Amino acid sequence: MFSFSTRPARIAAFFAIVLALVVVLFPFVWVFLESIKPPSLGGRPDVWVFPPTGDNWNNVLFQSDVPSNILNSFFVAFATVAIALLVGCPAAYAFSRFRGYHGARYSILAAEMMPPAILILPFFLVLYHLQMIDSLAGVIAAHLSFVVPVVTWFMIGFFDEVPRDLEHQAMVDGYTRFQAFYKVILPAVRPGIGAAGVFGFVLSWNDLFYALLLTGGESRTLPVAIAGYWTFRGVDMGKMAVAILIAVIPVLILSFFIQKHLVRGIGGGAVKY
Amino acid sequence: MQLKHRFVLPLALVLSAVMLYPVAFSAWISLHDYRLTRLNDVRWVGLDNYTFIATDPGFLNAMGNTITFVIGAVTLELILGLGLAILLQRLVRFQNFIRSTLLAPMFITPIAVGLMFRFLLNSELGVISHYLGEIGISIDWFGPQLALFSIILIDVWQWTPFMVLMFLAGLESLPKAPFEAARIDGASAWLTFRSVTLPMLRPVITVAIIIRALDAFKVFEYVFAITRGGPGDATETIMYYIYQAGFRFFRMGEAAAAAFLLIVVILVLVIALVKATKSNTEAPNDV
Amino acid sequence: MKKFNSLPAVTTFLSATFLSTALVSAADLNIIIEEVPDYEIIKKLTEEYEAANPDVTVTFDAMPFDAMRDKILTSSLAPSATYDVIIIDNPWMEEFAKAGYLAPLDDYIASSDGYDFDDFVGAVSSIGVVDGKTYGVPYYNYALGLIVRQDIFDKEGLEIPTTIEDYMETVKSLTTDDMFGAAMQPQKGYKIMEEWKNWLYANGGDVFDTDGNIIINNEAAVKALNQYIETYKSAAPANSLNWGFDEALRAVSSGTAATMLSYNWMLPALNAEGGMSGDLAGNFTLHEVPGGKAVLGTWSWGVPANAEDKDAAWDFVSWISSPEVAKRRAIMGGAPVRTSVLNDETVWKDGYGEAYYKALSGILEDAAPLTSGTNAEELIEIIGTELSAAVSEQKSPQEALDDAAAAVKRANR
Repeated sequence: MFSFSTRPARIAAFFAIVLALVVVLFPFVWVFLESIKPPSLGGRPDVWVFPPTGDNWNNVLFQSDVPSNILNSFFVAFATVAIALLVGCPAAYAFSRFRGYHGARYSILAAEMMPPAILILPFFLVLYHLQMIDSLAGVIAAHLSFVVPVVTWFMIGFFDEVPRDLEHQAMVDGYTRFQAFYKVILPAVRPGIGAAGVFGFVLSWNDLFYALLLTGGESRTLPVAIAGYWTFRGVDMGKMAVAILIAVIPVLILSFFIQKHLVRGIGGGAVKY
Repeated sequence: MQLKHRFVLPLALVLSAVMLYPVAFSAWISLHDYRLTRLNDVRWVGLDNYTFIATDPGFLNAMGNTITFVIGAVTLELILGLGLAILLQRLVRFQNFIRSTLLAPMFITPIAVGLMFRFLLNSELGVISHYLGEIGISIDWFGPQLALFSIILIDVWQWTPFMVLMFLAGLESLPKAPFEAARIDGASAWLTFRSVTLPMLRPVITVAIIIRALDAFKVFEYVFAITRGGPGDATETIMYYIYQAGFRFFRMGEAAAAAFLLIVVILVLVIALVKATKSNTEAPNDV
Repeated sequence: MKKFNSLPAVTTFLSATFLSTALVSAADLNIIIEEVPDYEIIKKLTEEYEAANPDVTVTFDAMPFDAMRDKILTSSLAPSATYDVIIIDNPWMEEFAKAGYLAPLDDYIASSDGYDFDDFVGAVSSIGVVDGKTYGVPYYNYALGLIVRQDIFDKEGLEIPTTIEDYMETVKSLTTDDMFGAAMQPQKGYKIMEEWKNWLYANGGDVFDTDGNIIINNEAAVKALNQYIETYKSAAPANSLNWGFDEALRAVSSGTAATMLSYNWMLPALNAEGGMSGDLAGNFTLHEVPGGKAVLGTWSWGVPANAEDKDAAWDFVSWISSPEVAKRRAIMGGAPVRTSVLNDETVWKDGYGEAYYKALSGILEDAAPLTSGTNAEELIEIIGTELSAAVSEQKSPQEALDDAAAAVKRANR
């Protein structure tokens, strides 16, 4: 299974990976069992065999808003990442290529340090005056505040990796600087765009704090819905488990197909600073 | 307008809308006695909020806990992430399946991860504690001694995959030649790792640490879901402190001041980290 | 562009003016509410209200407890409220009222025929009164009671404890290898405060005395904390320092623990056939908190000061909390707050039985909230942090309570 040279190394590697898989998968298995457990077994850690119930799945899939919450989350994450790439790529390119932007590389990260608890109030007041409270647009705006800097920072590294000859050659061929960027350099960093995009997607997908305050009713995102199973009366683990699973499965399938590109993308130069 | 500024303009516009204004507003708040329930009585207090926060035992304790948390979590994630990345790079079968499975924890919203582990590690009702109990091990995961460590472990579960992703990418992009040379010289695996792999990975490691640490400073959901900062104030983190001050006690001025003090601390740490790693490398000059 | 836009705007404006003169009661009511069992009942009853008032649409924005405070705050900061009706937890009442978030309801109450405000249990309705004005009318109570496994008490021949010392002894004697006497909730902050305050009441203590002096570190308080710690050590599950309501409930419903101090309205859920308790359903009974005086929690209906149509908001609030609807709500399983409902034989028969309502009446007779003041939320957190430090042995009880007193002073600066 492994390309290590000695047999003990291969065996050790095997056990290490199995251990890692168990540690990662065990909570998922437990979450799955929890989703089909009858409610009376909620406090029994030692019961593994029981008549399964489909009530939770039925309830979450067909009688709750979770499917539309997932769509909201997808929409928010996609829109956030799209905007972040749109504004982040040209800027990152400029930071990578032009003089005078050395400080920008780091200061762009300063935005990442601001605790959300303190940005939320200004956001709320502005969004209120724009009448964008409880709208997906408001959450997208808030998510931009932490997705844009990270995406831009990633992209700087990718552009650094692209040889300068590439756009020089393009400009010799008659392209303007912008055309060279758009038609030659951008395609060259495509895996990088994918990697930065996925990372931005995860950040937006997981956010609870902004979404909790800036969405309501129809515009709720998935983390808000999941947190909603934590009521004053206790955590409704069964239904929460279903929501977790249906939220993770599509992303897992996605990551199954793209992780190769993802790895190649990040390897393409996110790693420079 | 110069061409290079035109490239940056869209970013500048977006960031001033979503960052500059909120930050400026917060800075203004931090200089006032700004209570959400007394908005008709907002008073200029100068640096009072800062001196109050900087001497508040609760804040200092939260800062200490957070730094412990960040160092502990990021260090563990770094070691585990590096180890797993090396194994995964050498993995030749089930590659896709195992890689994407190991990345899965990243995709669960942290509040759900927190609640999951709250029940998994629960002393009477949790599976993990139950079976540890069967073999005679009784661990008080959320007692005063271990609670912060348990929160660190949860963070490690969720975010080691990020490190794996970064390092795997770094490893696969390394040139083959130095490894060939090491092999021909008959260097041991450990020596190759220490003197070839690690130095070449250093830039990735720094980037991964910075991104992960910045995120870890914001740890909130696990604490909120499991301990609420307790027992006592053993797991009170800085984000929880700011959340409480601002959104439960409505003392926005103090919350904002705490946030800016936090930024100062983070900046100092990040600069120190960058300095420390840069001085050890001949940084590839590619600008 | 502009031309196209202005035409519908004008028609909307005209029709709005026309409608508002023709049908006074037309309204969209947006109501923030917490996801609790009572909400389901309210939602069902509201369908009738909408049927009787076809021009009114009621939309509930249901959410978990932890989101509510922020949402109410942000709605109150806005020039015009997001919510036309809100519910208010008792620690927030004075704070919100004094911040000017809430509209006084006295005139409305006086002009509503048959509303009978005095019928509300006094301890509950007085929470909505701040400086002589009424800002909230009771929605439901969450006073604490003692919930026990009656079958175990019967088998062991145990009496229901009426003093805190009896209770400590009883739960200690019930603790065996596979059973704990008491499931407790020593989680830092609100949870431990809510539980320990019952011990404090039993010893005659409180946070403030009648003159407003801090007495949280007096002799009674130290004794109460020592007793609480002793109970935790002798009768609660090991390593349960971070337990909140949730874990305690699970421990009792799964048969791991024999008693708990908890919300009175949990009893029906514990006894529900096919519910969380499985085979144990039917074995739980509710009693007064040992010592007699219970911690009281109440949610009240309120109308935001910045709500657009306060008349319509009150119309709904007065309907849902009217004696007649309150009675039906109780029969459907709601937590009662009216004396007439608590003493109603139809409610006993169609609800959860006479014993439950009698016990509840007894609890509400002598019950008081955690603390008062405009920063009650903060004080609860402060004291709850120190209590947790004492139970986890990071501080001695006296030390922790002294620190709590100092922190309360600091917070009241």
